[in-house]
Amino acid sequence: MNGTRHVLITGASRGIGAHLVRHYLAHDNVVIGCARGGAAITHKRYTHMCVDVTDEQAVQTLLGDIRKRFGALDVLINNAGIASMNPVALTPFETARQIMATNFLGTFAFTRAGLRLLRSSTAGRIVNFTTVAVPLRLEGEAIYAASKSAVETFTRIVAREAAPFGVTCNAVGPSPVHTHLTDAVPADRIDRLISRQAVPRWAEPDDVANVIDFFLRPESAMVTGQIVYLGGIG
Amino acid sequence: MREIQVVTTAEVQDLVLRAIENANVARMPDAQLAVAPDAPLFGAGSALDSLGLVSLLIDIEDALHDHGIDVMLSDARAMSQKRSPFRSVAALVAFIQETAPSQP
Repeated sequence: MNGTRHVLITGASRGIGAHLVRHYLAHDNVVIGCARGGAAITHKRYTHMCVDVTDEQAVQTLLGDIRKRFGALDVLINNAGIASMNPVALTPFETARQIMATNFLGTFAFTRAGLRLLRSSTAGRIVNFTTVAVPLRLEGEAIYAASKSAVETFTRIVAREAAPFGVTCNAVGPSPVHTHLTDAVPADRIDRLISRQAVPRWAEPDDVANVIDFFLRPESAMVTGQIVYLGGIG
Repeated sequence: MREIQVVTTAEVQDLVLRAIENANVARMPDAQLAVAPDAPLFGAGSALDSLGLVSLLIDIEDALHDHGIDVMLSDARAMSQKRSPFRSVAALVAFIQETAPSQP
């Protein structure tokens, strides 16, 4: 990687996204974070942009602004995601639509717009977010897991389409990490889930960052289309 | 805000033809693309594959950006043999004029 690396992180205002912002700032990157809400972090190398990831036009405008302001993008981390833990029979249609829109269409919109800048990078990287709920087929998470299954297939095919541009595309599937997303799930459900892991403990945000660091290394140019779950799941 | 500039059909056509010329620099002698206003671009009669089309369209987006026009050239008919807006230079020029923000 020559020069300063420009990293764009969606869902940057809280949880894993906010942690990744701090992580990549600590590693001397220029970080652009976006979220529906305002910035959680102030730093001279941090720029925050407000956007709804399901607003195609707004996403396009945001990438245009990055291009005008920075002229470069090396890493896109599609972290923004929402969940609603309900049995299918009790899930409102609108909830399902919103989950698919944020988790899958948001990832698509940023990937499509981001590829245009990433192809000029010497080590362009796209990192998407999936979940252990996909391989575990967790009851009560059908819509959430289905949206992430879409992200996984999307990741594998983008890996092939982006490879000629020197851009890799991979996904990380965290096991439970303490965030607002897992706070909404009953403790006994999470405990049962964690007990099924090969490494039966809560994951830390740094465990997620470690997998992403591996995808981002210049030496990882041959690593693409891969899904890496934490905790020995999958 | 970047000022939107007036771009005529002739200017868009010129920009597309220059992008094709640039693409040809990296293409093999037997895979050169015709550089003409009535040339086919994608589909029968053209050496351009889908990846080549994506690269060319992104190069054209970059050139349009330099003229103050931000567009993303995507269309559900992209891969259609008969109806693709990218099937010929003329069709692409018309598509860009339709897609680009309305000119003053």
